[in-house]
Amino acid sequence: MNRIGYIILYIFLGIVGVFQIFPLIWLFLFSLKSNSEIFAGSPFTLPKEWLWENYATVWEGGIGLYFWNSVWITVVAIILTALFASMATFAITRMQWKLNKLVLGLFMVGLMIPIHSAIIPLFSMFLNVNLIDNPWSIVITYTAYNLPITMMILLGFYYTLPREIEEAAIIDGCSVHRMFFRIILPMTAPVLSTIIIINMIYNWNEFVFVNTFISSDEYKTLTVGIQNFIGQYMTDWGAIGATLIISLLPILAAFIFFSNKVVEGISSSAVKG
Amino acid sequence: MNKVMSNKWVIAIYIFPALLLVGVLIFIPLILSAYYGLMEWDGIGDMKFVGLENYITAIQDLKFWDSALHSFLLAVFSTLSLAGYLAVSMILASKIKGADLLRKIYLIPMLLSSVAIAQLWIKVFNPANGMLNRILMAIGFENPPAWLANPDIVLYAIFIPILWQYAGFYILIYYAALKNIPETIIEAARIDGASPLQIAYRIKLPLIKGVVKVTIVLAIVGSLKYFDLIYVMTGGGPNGASEVMASYMYKLAFSTNEFGYGSAVGFLLLIITLIVTVIVRKITADKDEIQY
Amino acid sequence: MKRKAVTLLLSVVAIVLVLAGCSDSESSNANSDDGNSKTIDFMHLWPEGSSAEHNRIVNEIIEEYESENEGVNVELEVLSNEQYKDKIKVLSTSDELPDVGMTWAAGYMEPYVEGDKYASLDDVVESEELNGQFVSGTTEAFSVDGTSYGLPLELNIATVFYNKAIFEEHGLEAPETNEEFHNVVQTLEENGVTPIALGNKDRWTGSLWYMYYADRIGGSDLLTNAINRETSFEDPALVQAAEEVQTLVDMNTFNDGHNGLSDQEAKSMFMNGQTAMYLIATWDLPNYTTNEDVPQEFRYSVGYFDFPTVDGNGDKNSYVGGPGVGLFVADNSDVKEEAKDFTKFFVQKWGDKSVSEAGVIPATKVDAESLDLPQMYVDVLDDLNNANNLTLFADVQMSSDTAEVHLNQIQALFGGEVTPEEFAKAHEKALSEEE
Repeated sequence: MNRIGYIILYIFLGIVGVFQIFPLIWLFLFSLKSNSEIFAGSPFTLPKEWLWENYATVWEGGIGLYFWNSVWITVVAIILTALFASMATFAITRMQWKLNKLVLGLFMVGLMIPIHSAIIPLFSMFLNVNLIDNPWSIVITYTAYNLPITMMILLGFYYTLPREIEEAAIIDGCSVHRMFFRIILPMTAPVLSTIIIINMIYNWNEFVFVNTFISSDEYKTLTVGIQNFIGQYMTDWGAIGATLIISLLPILAAFIFFSNKVVEGISSSAVKG
Repeated sequence: MNKVMSNKWVIAIYIFPALLLVGVLIFIPLILSAYYGLMEWDGIGDMKFVGLENYITAIQDLKFWDSALHSFLLAVFSTLSLAGYLAVSMILASKIKGADLLRKIYLIPMLLSSVAIAQLWIKVFNPANGMLNRILMAIGFENPPAWLANPDIVLYAIFIPILWQYAGFYILIYYAALKNIPETIIEAARIDGASPLQIAYRIKLPLIKGVVKVTIVLAIVGSLKYFDLIYVMTGGGPNGASEVMASYMYKLAFSTNEFGYGSAVGFLLLIITLIVTVIVRKITADKDEIQY
Repeated sequence: MKRKAVTLLLSVVAIVLVLAGCSDSESSNANSDDGNSKTIDFMHLWPEGSSAEHNRIVNEIIEEYESENEGVNVELEVLSNEQYKDKIKVLSTSDELPDVGMTWAAGYMEPYVEGDKYASLDDVVESEELNGQFVSGTTEAFSVDGTSYGLPLELNIATVFYNKAIFEEHGLEAPETNEEFHNVVQTLEENGVTPIALGNKDRWTGSLWYMYYADRIGGSDLLTNAINRETSFEDPALVQAAEEVQTLVDMNTFNDGHNGLSDQEAKSMFMNGQTAMYLIATWDLPNYTTNEDVPQEFRYSVGYFDFPTVDGNGDKNSYVGGPGVGLFVADNSDVKEEAKDFTKFFVQKWGDKSVSEAGVIPATKVDAESLDLPQMYVDVLDDLNNANNLTLFADVQMSSDTAEVHLNQIQALFGGEVTPEEFAKAHEKALSEEE
């Protein structure tokens, strides 16, 4: 390709990049403004007064506990989802049995349920087994509802894994479990990083389940912190912006970390493959 | 080989945890909601069994079909936009300078919660102060439309933030898939004199076909049950112009006390999604999955 | 090799056990009602972040109540408006309403009453402490067939707030009649000022305009009668009211794209001096009086006027409004008596505190003289005392599915998608189907 082609390409990529990054800048400015400025002014003017107290307001609202709940619920749900989804996808795509297409179909149907259809039956189920107002109800719900989409994403990758690896492993006398944990899982590291990112974002930002199943303050998560600033007649948008920024930072850091893993993983698996 | 890989016990152990969770937490609610669909119930008082009445009402309900049409349009747009995401991913996955940074930047919108995205775009679309109309007026449009208030364009206007929000999600998946292609294959093609476009179209695309198919299903299913942004940005309005199946279902079940009917609509949403998915899978079906 | 499989199974079992273990300990906590101490679960919708004063007053009242009533605990859950409504809905499907919670009047609460979810509060309303304390009309809105099921906490009327500075600049005065009102609109429009801020995405905002025209043209009972099926909604006056609304729209009275804007966005247009008028209920009073976050200069320049008369018809002392939220007690509560007692206590304490500290106009009578209130509050309280009629917000009066038709039709009316006749016909159809 020639030089002009590259310049055009970079201009295009740059424009898309600006388009994608501006919400961060906007959100940051937003978090430092007052209600009237947020609604009246252009989104990109600098705040007239830099209202850092929006952050103080948010912090005093007891966000620390919510924060910790968000972290552990997100992490546990991700681990369970990634493990169970990998296992099931492995069994469906790599092992030989008759019902695999049917079971796969069942998981795919799980993708299609609208969450508002599920929420009321789920509530009454959790109520019956005494899991209402228990953070584990959230963990298992996140795991279950992310399993189908996680498996779909894994599926495309598992289909492309070379059969020879398994054959070689088995000829060497390797058990299925060893093969799965020692060979297959590491090989799928890039896609695992991908699904970790996706799961992380879903779990971190989710609030319908938390709002419905949790009533004690001690178990609520960060997204509920946002609700604190939405009033019956009045809403403190600046504080919501600050909450959003605070809740964005850890996920941004984790995202960059795992995003690098997407690349690293490949190079290591390429060596093995 | 076959004996090891078809051990029933091993298969059961591997499938069981996922199947248990999905079975209990997704399928039981699903069956329950189909059952509620057979009831006349406001979600408050007593239930009354009415058989298939709710389902029959829904099939004759113009508002339901309107919302189904809107959802369907959304699904078509989302599927078409996959081509764009794929093209960008291909560029990012090829070895150009700064690809790594650009990829991270492109994924930023997907980190934000829908609340934030909706607020941002409400401000972009604001007819008087909004960024979009200010730009349009600056370049000479006298009367730029009120994007979210005009029933003829509101659906298309809302599609823009959705397209934008999901860019990161699909680019992430495509990128991982493209990076999964062994370098040796591409190197071999390059030595044979293939141009970058040829490599993309003839080699990379077929190799990630499985992933592309999966994303098509994800895009369609995701669009047909899409709810978040639309509900916050327009509430399905004005006068139902941006109502989609999920928002209609939500309104029935949660706002207007027609919980039985809402459940029936929710179940129909699932059936429609299922049918569309099966059709799409049939169309994109391939006798043998690609292997290398 | 077997070890891996065993570990795997063990971990699954462990998770199940953890879940079971947790739920066991939960269930033992949950029944803390036995013994001497009783727990009242109370849900409200005033989060600390957005409604700091409301939230604080509630906590104070609870503290006071707990200290006066040894052995009674009030357990709180606070949600924002929208989440509150959703959660109540979910809870009601499982018959798990909190012992005490917030409810809206009329159309909202009727299904709960019919489903036997709310306890009768007649004994509380007629109790010695509360009898005669409520402003007339407020408890009625929370009654079904003559029985009270809710204790009203606030009372709001809608009035037109206007920016006196803008009016002065263009030599305008608060209009008394619709003609004068049209003149005001025209003058402002010709001078490039958007006359009125309206956020009709929320739909009830547009409904206020329609309701006032219906009230002025057809008399204060007409709309209510049409909703109660005593007259037809296709009454000429109700059609004419819709025509008046469209006349305003055609005069470019409202900001562009009002059907896509939220009330919050419209409000900020008014509060930034971008529009001259804004029709809203009195819950907004703090913004124009005491709210320190709003520039003082703006607060001083805001006044309000009653909705104008139309062609000499209409009573300016007739208002659109109504009680906002009220307290309910769940019928299946196992601490029903304590819960009722708590609501009684709550209402008594709420009145004075809410008006002087949170700027709420309570549904109980307030002695304006004894409290140090901003002038605008005194005026509004005065208006309320002189009110000849208070028509409840239409979407609150109607059952929820008719309300949905009404609200959508309002958007269609403001968007010019329906004619006034079609507008009336759609209402008539929805209302008659319900009978």
